[in-house]
Amino acid sequence: MASHYEAPIRKPLVTGSKSYSDVSNDIARPVEGKANKQWWIVFSIALVAFLWGLGSIIYTIATGIGVWGLNKTVNWAWDITNFVWWVGIGHAGTLISAVLLLFRQKWRMAINRSAEAMTIFSVIQAGLFPIIHMGRPWLAFWVLPIPNQYGSLWVNFNSPLLWDVFAISTYLSVSLVFWWTGLLPDFAMIRDRAVRPFQKKIYSLLSFGWTGRAKDWQRFEEVSLVLAGLATPLVLSVHTIVSFDFATSVIPGWHTTIFPPYFVAGAIFSGFAMVNTLLIIMRKVVGFEDYITLQHIELMNIVIMITGSIVGCAYITELFIAWYSGVEYEQYAFLNRATGPYAWAYWSMMTCNVFSPQFMWIKKLRTSIMFSFFISIVVNIGMWFERFVIIVTSLHRDYLPSSWTMFSPTFVDIGIFIGTIGFFFVLFLLYSRTFPVIAQAEVKSILKSSADNYKALRAEGKPLYEMPPRGKVTTYEVEESNTNLTTDH
Amino acid sequence: MASHKQYWKSEAELTNNPVVDQLAQNEFTEKLPVNDFLEQESTLKDSQSTRRDFLKFLGFSTAAATLAACEGPVKKSIPYVIQPDEIVPGVANYYATTIADGYDFASILVKTREGRPIKIENNDRATLFGGANARVQASVLNLYDKNRLQGPEASGSAISWDDLDAAVIARLESAKNTGKKVVVLSGTKASPSYLKAIEALKSKYANVEYHTYDAISSASALDAFELAYGERALADYDLSEADIIVSFDADFLGDWQGGGYSKAYAKNRVPHHGKMSHHVQMESNMTLSGANADKRIPLTTVEQKRALAALYNALNGVSASESSTAISGHINAMAQRLKTAGSRAVVLCGIDDRDAQLITLSINEFLNSDAFDVAKPKYVRSASASVLEDIVTAANKGEIGAILIDGVNPIYSAPDTDAFAAALGQIGFSVTSSFSLTETAAASTFVASASHFLESWGDVEIKKGHYGITQPVIRNLFDTRQFEQSLLVWSGLSETYHDFIQNNWRGSILNGSSWSQAVQDGVFYRSQSTPSTFIVSNTDLESAVNKLSSSSSNGIELVLYTKTGMGDGQMANNPWLQEFPDPISRASWDNYLTISKADALAYGLENVNVANGGLDGSYVTLKVGDVSLNRVPVLIQPGQAKGTVGLALGYGRKLGIQDEMQTGVNAYSLYLGQSKVQSVTIEKERGMHEFACVQLHKTLMGRGDIIKETTLEDFISKPSEEWNPTPMVSLDHQEVPATSVDLWESFDRTVGHHFNLSIDLNACTGCGACVIACHAENNVPVVGKHEIRVSRDMHWLRIDRYYSSEESFIEDTEKKENLDGLFGDNGSLSGFGSMEDPSENPQVAFQPVMCQHCNHAPCETVCPVAATSHSRQGHNHMAYNRCIGTRYCANNCPYKVRRFNWFLYSQNDEFDFHMNNDLGRMVLNPDVNVRSRGVMEKCSMCIQRTQKTILDAKAEGRTIKDGEFQTACSAACDTGALVFGDINDKESRVAKLKESERMYHLLEHVGTQPNVFYHVKVRNTEKA
Repeated sequence: MASHYEAPIRKPLVTGSKSYSDVSNDIARPVEGKANKQWWIVFSIALVAFLWGLGSIIYTIATGIGVWGLNKTVNWAWDITNFVWWVGIGHAGTLISAVLLLFRQKWRMAINRSAEAMTIFSVIQAGLFPIIHMGRPWLAFWVLPIPNQYGSLWVNFNSPLLWDVFAISTYLSVSLVFWWTGLLPDFAMIRDRAVRPFQKKIYSLLSFGWTGRAKDWQRFEEVSLVLAGLATPLVLSVHTIVSFDFATSVIPGWHTTIFPPYFVAGAIFSGFAMVNTLLIIMRKVVGFEDYITLQHIELMNIVIMITGSIVGCAYITELFIAWYSGVEYEQYAFLNRATGPYAWAYWSMMTCNVFSPQFMWIKKLRTSIMFSFFISIVVNIGMWFERFVIIVTSLHRDYLPSSWTMFSPTFVDIGIFIGTIGFFFVLFLLYSRTFPVIAQAEVKSILKSSADNYKALRAEGKPLYEMPPRGKVTTYEVEESNTNLTTDH
Repeated sequence: MASHKQYWKSEAELTNNPVVDQLAQNEFTEKLPVNDFLEQESTLKDSQSTRRDFLKFLGFSTAAATLAACEGPVKKSIPYVIQPDEIVPGVANYYATTIADGYDFASILVKTREGRPIKIENNDRATLFGGANARVQASVLNLYDKNRLQGPEASGSAISWDDLDAAVIARLESAKNTGKKVVVLSGTKASPSYLKAIEALKSKYANVEYHTYDAISSASALDAFELAYGERALADYDLSEADIIVSFDADFLGDWQGGGYSKAYAKNRVPHHGKMSHHVQMESNMTLSGANADKRIPLTTVEQKRALAALYNALNGVSASESSTAISGHINAMAQRLKTAGSRAVVLCGIDDRDAQLITLSINEFLNSDAFDVAKPKYVRSASASVLEDIVTAANKGEIGAILIDGVNPIYSAPDTDAFAAALGQIGFSVTSSFSLTETAAASTFVASASHFLESWGDVEIKKGHYGITQPVIRNLFDTRQFEQSLLVWSGLSETYHDFIQNNWRGSILNGSSWSQAVQDGVFYRSQSTPSTFIVSNTDLESAVNKLSSSSSNGIELVLYTKTGMGDGQMANNPWLQEFPDPISRASWDNYLTISKADALAYGLENVNVANGGLDGSYVTLKVGDVSLNRVPVLIQPGQAKGTVGLALGYGRKLGIQDEMQTGVNAYSLYLGQSKVQSVTIEKERGMHEFACVQLHKTLMGRGDIIKETTLEDFISKPSEEWNPTPMVSLDHQEVPATSVDLWESFDRTVGHHFNLSIDLNACTGCGACVIACHAENNVPVVGKHEIRVSRDMHWLRIDRYYSSEESFIEDTEKKENLDGLFGDNGSLSGFGSMEDPSENPQVAFQPVMCQHCNHAPCETVCPVAATSHSRQGHNHMAYNRCIGTRYCANNCPYKVRRFNWFLYSQNDEFDFHMNNDLGRMVLNPDVNVRSRGVMEKCSMCIQRTQKTILDAKAEGRTIKDGEFQTACSAACDTGALVFGDINDKESRVAKLKESERMYHLLEHVGTQPNVFYHVKVRNTEKA
C-alpha cells in the first residue's frame, strides 16, 4: 500500500450507506407520517407567539405608532432593528443555494432547501416591519411607482427606503422562484408516492406537472444555474441597499462608507448562525444525522468564524475612522456607543459577535454540536444588538444635545418582535411537515461522491460490485420504480 | 339587426289607451287622469304589475327611504341672514384691545376669523406694554374653555340674572339698613372706569368698601414707593436707557412688578457700535433675568439684603468689607462702575422687603438714573399684603354684611384658605364673579358667571398717562356678564358699561380726542406727569440700611416664584400653558422644588433618568412654621443659590379645571404674609415623581459651533474669523469652506421671494412667547404630560436652554479641544462624562430652534414618497396628505425639529384637550389643517401668512414692503430677536442681518444650507 502515493479520499457527504430508496424514504417520512408530540408542542408555542404578535400589530395599526417606545429623537428602534435582523438572516439561504452552487460546493445540497426556506420565511418577517412601522400603513402602496391620477406625483427615487422596496421585493421573488424550482422534482417524488387522492392532487399542483423526462432535467439544471447567477448579486446587493438606509444619512454613526461590506458580512454571519440553529434541531428531531453531518456543521462554523472576524474588523475600523476623521460629532457618536448609556448593548454586541466566534478556531469546539448550537444563538443575539446599537445609539445622541433622550421598548415592541419569531417558526414548522426539507434529487447525486466505502470493501477483500442474483426480479424493483421515475438520470 | 323593441313612456301608451292621444292633442297639459284610472276596476285588473313587481317597488322604496334617513355629514355652518360688512369669509379682522387680568397687562391685537377670535398679536401702536407674553398669547384659548361657567348659579343650580340681581340688591339694602359693610374685592384693575363704577355703587350704598387683592403681591415695593413719593404705585424703568443694570433678585424679564421690560432691555443688549449694556444679577433662584445676565451671582435673600446695604454704603463712600457682605469685592467694583456710569446705570430690586425697596429707590435717585421713571409710575399692582387678613378680621367681628368678589380666588391663593372660607361663611352673603367654578366661587352664595376679556369692555391706565382700552371682539358665548356691568346694575344704573366707559372717557380722559380712534388703536396717551420728589429722610434711610445689613439667616430659605407659563395660576386650565416648557427647567405640567446640587446631596435628594429617558425626582415635605406641604417633587437646579430652594406659585388648583390640568402642588399655602421668602425645613419623602421635561440633557458638551459665543472685547477687537469661524472641510487636501462643497446643482434663486429667518441670540431672552404664538397659529396639538415625558412634545418651535459645564461656555469648548487621549484626567472618557454635568453656577444660553428650512435638506432626499420637498421661496414643504409616516426624515434631521403624530391628537378622548371638544376647536386656525395620526409635521415658516401677504399685494397691485412678511414667531417676538423677511429684497432688514459679521448657520459643516440663521451671542463679561 505504501508503495505509491495515495490521494486523499473525500469524506462522504452522506453517511450511513444510504441507498437511493433510503433517501426517498427518509425525506418523504416527515411529510407522509404523523407529527409527533414535540412538533405539536413547539408549534403551539410558536402559534401563540405569532398570535400575540398579530394582536400587537393590530393594536398598533388601530391606535398609532405611539404604542411603541419611539420618540421625537429616536424615530426608529426595534422596528428597523428587527427588519435588518430578519433580512440579514435571510442572506444565508441565498448564499448557500446560489453562491455555493456556482462554486460547486456539494455539501450545500443537504442544507440548501431549508436554508432557502429560512430565507423566504425571514424575508417575510422582515417585509412586515417597513409596512407596520409606517404611520399610515394603509397607504403603503404609495411607495410603489404606480401611475396615478395626480399627474406627475411619483415616488422619490433618491430615497434609500424606496431602494429597499425594490431590493426586498426582488430578493423575495427571486428567492421564491429559485426555491420552488428546486422543489419541483421533490414535490413530484412525494406526489408519486402519495396514496391519498387529496394529497396527490395537492402535490401534483405544487410540482407543476414535473414528469422527470430528460428535457425536464435539462431545463431544471439550466434554470437553476440562471437563477443562481441572478441570485448571487442579490446576496451582495440587498444588504448593501439596506445599509444605504443608514450610510446615506447625515447622522453620525450612520454616515459611514464601510457599511455595505460590513452589513453583507454581518448578514451572512447571522444567516449561517440561524441555519445552524434550525438544522441542529431538525437533524435531531427528524433523524437527518446522516444527511446533515458534523462536517456540515463544521463548515458552517468556519463561515461563521470568518464572517464574525470580518464584522469585528469592521467594528474596529469604524472606531478608527471616527477618531481619524477628526470630526467631533463622529468621535462622540462612537465614544458614546462604547461608554454612554447604551454601552451595555455595545459590549453585548462585541462579546457575541467578535469574541464568541473566535472559539471556532478550536476544532474540538467547532465540531461540538452543543457548542455550535450555543454559539449560533449567541451570534443571533449579537447581531440583533448590532442593529440596535447602530440605530438607537446613533439617534439618541446626535447633533444638538437639547434633543438627546433615551429609548425603552413597550410591551407592543416586544410583542411584535416575539410575534415575528413565532410567525417564522410557524411557517418553518409547517414547512418541515409538508415540504421535502432536503433536496433529495440533488442529494442522490452525491451519494457516491466518496470512495470511502470502496476502500473499506477492498481492505476487507470483498468485491467492489456484486451483480444482483440472477432470475430473481423481486418486488424490490417494483417498489423502487416510483422513485426511479424521478431520480434516474 | 333591426330592433323590435317598442318604447313607451307610460303604461297607458303601451296599452293604447285613448287618454294618451287625447293628452297629446291638448295644447296645455291637464291633470293626470289618475282618478279615471283608479276608479275603473277593469283597468286595474288589466294592470301588468305583478305581485313580484309590487315587492320590488316596496323593497326599492324601503331601501331608498332607509338610505335617505341615514345621517350624512352634518356641516354646522349657518349662513348669515344679513352679512356684516366687515366680515368677509376667509379674511381676518384685527381688533385692538387690552388684557388687564390683575396679573398681566398688555396692549394687544386680536385676530378674528369669521367672527371668532383665534390669535393674539402684539399691538405695534403701543409704545409700551405692546408685547404679549406667553400667557397673554395663550389667553385666547381660555375663551373656549369647556370648564367655563355658562350662566349664573346659586349653590350649584342655575338661576337667572334677574334673580341674582334682586338678591344682591336686597342684601345691599339690608346691609345698608343694618349698618354693616359691603366689601368689594378685586384684583388690581388700574381702571379709571372701574373705579368710577365702584364710586357709583358707593354713592348708592355708602357702606361699600373697595379693596384690591393681588394673588402675587408687590406690596413691599408699593409701600416703599408710597413712602418715598406719596403715591401707591410702582417705579417704572426704561432699560434701553441703562448701560449697567444691577438687579437684586428682580426677575424683570419674567413677572417682576408686572413685567414688560424685555423689549427695552433687548434694545441695549445687541451690540451697536461696539456698545451694549452690562447686566449683573444677584438672585437665589435661576430666573430668566439671571440666565440672560452677563454676570450672575447666586445669593440667599439675606446675603442679597446685606449686599444691597453694602452697595448703598459703598456708593456713599463706605467701602464694603468682608464682614458686611460675602461678595465685598464685587460690591466695591460694582459701586465704582455705577458711579462711573452715573445716570446710565440702574439698580432693580425684587426683594420682598420695604427697606430694600426704599434703598433701591434712593440709589436710583442718587445715580439720577435715566432709566428710572417715577414721574409716570406704573399702576399694575396696588394691593397691600394684609388685605385678606383685614377682611377676615372684620368678618369675624360681624362687621361685613356682604362681599362681592371680582375674579380673584382667595380660597385658592390665600395662605390660610380655611380662614377666608370661614369668613365667607361668617359674612353669609357672597357673590363671586368668576370665569370658572373656582374654589372661591364654589364657596360663595352666588356665582356670577364672568365674561372673558375678549367679550368685555374695559379700560386701564397701566402707567400714568398710558391708557389701554378693552373692547369685545365676540359676543358673549354664554350667559355671562362682566362684573363692571353688574356693578352698574346693582347701583341702579341702566347704562351699559360700554356707554359708561365712553362717557367717562369723553368726560375726563379723552380731552377732545376721538373715542373711536382710541378704541381702534387700543391705546391712548396723555402727557401727564407729576414731578415727584423723594421725600424720605436720611435717618430713615440709615435705619433701613442698618436693618438690611443686620439681617441674618434662619435656616433654608424658600423663595417662591412664578413660572413663565403659569404666572399666578388663573390660567391653569389652559393646556397650551400647561404644556409650555419652562424656559429654565424645560419641565412642563408641574411645579417643583428647585434645589442646588450641594443641598440635594445633603438631603439625599436625587434626579435620575429612567430607561426611556424620563426624569424622576425625589419627593419632600416642606414645612414653613406650622404649615406643611406634602409630596413636593424635587428638581436639581444648576445656579440655585446654596441654602435656598425655589417653588413656583400658581399650581395645584383643584376646582373648576379638568383633571388633566390639576398639576403640581399649591405653594400659596406657604406664601405667608405674601412674602416670597420663607424659612423652611425640608424632609425627604418616599417615592419618586415623574417629571415631563422636554430637554433631558442640560449641557452643550463643548459644542461651541451650536451656540457661537464671544465676549464684547473680542467682538470689538478681533476679526470675525476668530469668533465666528467658517467651518472648513478638506477637499482634495485643500481646506475649503464647508459650504463651498456641493453635490447639487442649485436652481436660480434670484427670482421671486426667498424667505429667511434671522435669530439674534443676543436679543432672545428665552421668554417663550413665540412658542405659544406658534402653537396658536399652526394648530399644534397638546399631547399631555405622559407624552411629553416620553419625549414626544409636538412644539414646532422650541427654545433650547443650555448650561455651561465649566464657568462659561467658552471654557467648555476649550476643555473639549484640549482633551488628550482616551484615559486619564484629561482624557475623552472622563472629559465628556464630566461635561454632561452643569456647573454649580453655569452660564445659560437660549437658542430658539425650528425647522431650518435647509436648501439642501437631508429630510427631503430620504422620503420615499416625496412628501417633503423644497419650494422656490426657500420653504421646506411638508405635504401631510402624502406622508405615509416612515419617520426617516425625522431621523435624518440634524436639528431634530420634525414632530410625528404618534396618535390621533384631535377628537380623541385619550387626549382630552381643546381639540377634543367643539368649543375648544373654535380656536383652530382655519388656514392651517389639523394633522391626522401617522403623519410628520413641522414648522412651515407660516406659509399661510406669507402666501396671504403675497396675494394681498398682488390683488392691490403693489410691491411688498419690508416687514410685511411675518411668521407667527417673528410677529410675537417683541425683543426683535426673530426677524423674518425676503432676502431677495436687498433693502430688507433680514437681508442686511444676513450680511452681518455675527451671522452663522446652525451646524453649517453638515452642508444643509439652512434658510434660518443665527447671530453670534456676545457677552459683556470682561469688565465685571
